[in-house]
Amino acid sequence: MTTDDNRPAVSGDVIDMKHLIVMANQIGDFFASYPPKRAREGLRNHLRINWDPRMRNALLAHIDSGGDGLDVNVIDAVQLLRKAADKSGYYGPPQA
Amino acid sequence: MPNPRKPEKETITICAYCGVGCGFKAETIGNEIVRMTPWKEGKANHGHSCIKGRFAYDYWCHPDRIKTPMIRDSIDEPWQEVSWDEAFTHAASELKRIQGKYGRSSVGGVSSSRCTNEEIFLTTKLVRAVFGNNNIDNCARICHSPTQFGLSATVGAGAASQHFDSILQADVIMVVGANPTEGHPVFGSMMKRRIRQGAKLIVIDPRRTETVDSPHCRADVHLALRPGTNVAILNSIAHVIVRENRHDEEFIKSRCEWQEFEHWAELVGSEEYSPDNIGPIAGVDPEDIRRAARMYSSGPNSTIYYGLGVTEHSQGSTGVMCLGNLGLACGMFGREGVGVNPLRGQGNVQGGSCLGSWPHVFSGYRFVTDDATRESFEADWGVELDSEPGLRLPNMFDAALTGHFKGMYIMGEDPVQSDPNQNHIIAAFREMECVIVHDLFLNETSKYAHVFLPGSSSLEKDGTFTGAERRIGRVRQVVEPLAGYQDWEVTVKLMNAMGYDVEYAHAGEVLEELARLTPAYSGASFELLDRVGSAQWPVNTAAPEGTEVLHTEQFPRANGLGTFMLTGFVPTRERVSEQFPLLLTTGRILTQYNVGTQTRRTANSQWHPEDVLEMTFDDMQMRGLSNGDSVTITSRFGSTQLKVVESVRVNPGVIYTTFHHAETKANVVTSDLSDWATNCPEYKVTAVEVAKVISPDAQHAEASVKRSAPRERDVEEVR
Repeated sequence: MTTDDNRPAVSGDVIDMKHLIVMANQIGDFFASYPPKRAREGLRNHLRINWDPRMRNALLAHIDSGGDGLDVNVIDAVQLLRKAADKSGYYGPPQA
Repeated sequence: MPNPRKPEKETITICAYCGVGCGFKAETIGNEIVRMTPWKEGKANHGHSCIKGRFAYDYWCHPDRIKTPMIRDSIDEPWQEVSWDEAFTHAASELKRIQGKYGRSSVGGVSSSRCTNEEIFLTTKLVRAVFGNNNIDNCARICHSPTQFGLSATVGAGAASQHFDSILQADVIMVVGANPTEGHPVFGSMMKRRIRQGAKLIVIDPRRTETVDSPHCRADVHLALRPGTNVAILNSIAHVIVRENRHDEEFIKSRCEWQEFEHWAELVGSEEYSPDNIGPIAGVDPEDIRRAARMYSSGPNSTIYYGLGVTEHSQGSTGVMCLGNLGLACGMFGREGVGVNPLRGQGNVQGGSCLGSWPHVFSGYRFVTDDATRESFEADWGVELDSEPGLRLPNMFDAALTGHFKGMYIMGEDPVQSDPNQNHIIAAFREMECVIVHDLFLNETSKYAHVFLPGSSSLEKDGTFTGAERRIGRVRQVVEPLAGYQDWEVTVKLMNAMGYDVEYAHAGEVLEELARLTPAYSGASFELLDRVGSAQWPVNTAAPEGTEVLHTEQFPRANGLGTFMLTGFVPTRERVSEQFPLLLTTGRILTQYNVGTQTRRTANSQWHPEDVLEMTFDDMQMRGLSNGDSVTITSRFGSTQLKVVESVRVNPGVIYTTFHHAETKANVVTSDLSDWATNCPEYKVTAVEVAKVISPDAQHAEASVKRSAPRERDVEEVR
């Protein structure tokens, strides 16, 4: 089943954006211990396999309108989600 | 009448309280339980028991039990008793109506770790195959989800590496954020036995618990750290190990990813984590950090047991990774007497974790995004399944507040009482149009429910539990279900009412289904458990009677190697300030169990009539408080009232309470912060202020919501 037939029938962000920003920045804080490229990939993969697609899309849309409140490294990493459809899941140190 | 009364029948089953999973003989006369005696052949308890399992079973026939299904159109209306069929039809049509109006993802479910593996598995099937989404979670979300995440990342399996008996070969026992002598008493007794034989004990806990100092149990080192500094302390222990070359290079080179070890050693070996740096931040003597590090790394067999004091933090998953890292660095995996072991709070938390009751994984921790896994379930269940992760329990409540989440099936859980920031949870429930509570009793959540399905206790049903040591054991029906159905039958009938055709003759058939879809459980069956008593997973063709110790040859990761995670310390955003200068932390006591739904309905309440707040003499004096005063505890999120008592078990600046009584409303004050990786709530750290109750009117004041103070204004950090 694709996400297409699962479009929300209700408009607006699925979760309050302030809350999503705190969550995304917290994840960024964890991966900050890794070298930049691995940190970005780690954050991207984490959102890909753990977050409901509506939460990911809301965050991407927020970035499109300026990304207010998000840490810079988080914005860079979230952008990578735009082409991460094939990530099927993994636990462990960040890798591509 | 002879005393004791002579039972007519005995049934071997498992205690439904903590995660130890003691075997019991339930002795009955007709449909009356006359005695619960610990089973000598039980491999988790070997004939021992605690005051809960032995005596606190009468809740099962308490007059509060609901025996008839009930429905109502709105939560302002009184409940209306209906037949089971009417209840199922009503619930199904409401869920379908909601999905038609608000979309397929607008409903979800949550399973309980108090229910059997079979029931948890069926709840995931209800949500994935019948609701058609992945909005399925388990109450382990709010206790041990970081365990699954942190241990999977480092050693590849989100579960205890050992069996309980293994502790009898340990030389050094490190207990982190747990109090087994009270929370897991039967295991606690085994730990004491080993300590009497000479094993050393390290305790990392903000409070001087009974595990730190009580008969037969005295910590050689106690790190009474400030709540919220676990990761700093564990990194500092690692710092000493790495700097003093106390790690096991041979083990790391042969069993782990060496390059990741080097990255990790660089991080924890940096000056930032030196004991002299971390000591003052965490409020402990740097020399004690060194002693703990030297003791743990010396072994020869060192083992770690930990609890919610590690997981329920904004860095909960990082804390668990720290423990995995430490075990790997010192070669403490793969034999008896070592390992890293979570102590689970409820009887079946391990089962709740294993069986795919998560929005992002199927059973066996396999991702919903993985095509091969998903296809195996699609083939078995005959429907197409959602390939994207769903909402976690706290996300469901958040989504309810934005109008995206409208209906919920709640099996054996009471989120209003158990989940953090109670006012937020209540507001979310008020937005939902169909809340189905499936429980033994009316509870705090059922006040906001539209359908009530009467549940059955573990004494009334068949199935299996998986204990904290991965032990799968048989739960056997002792008495007839008071409301007519075992819980798994109710879930099946709800599936049927929604148009999904499936039938099971007995719970064993559900186990067969989950076994054929879950590699680690593939050898599990009622026949096997009847024959061998119980079996620890993995139980499969390679290990037909189960596996006591994990990771003996390799780690269950793609390359077979353990790995190190980089665990930088990030202080929680929950900080003390001038307005909220104290840190509140929570725990539990021997005679009671969690929010008390069961134990408060037994004679065990005699030992613990109310929760009290523990505080140091100085902190009390500063606020003009005397022993027994009623006080208000206020956080950014709300306030509640308790009686205060002077305690030498907490440090200045830290206060503590248990949460066994609904009136305590501890979760009115807890924050909305959660673990970065899993959203496990940060129950263990809340900045609060305590003041004496002045007017008698205030006694009845409703918990108030305080949301005005923005975080940025808070002046001081935890560190």
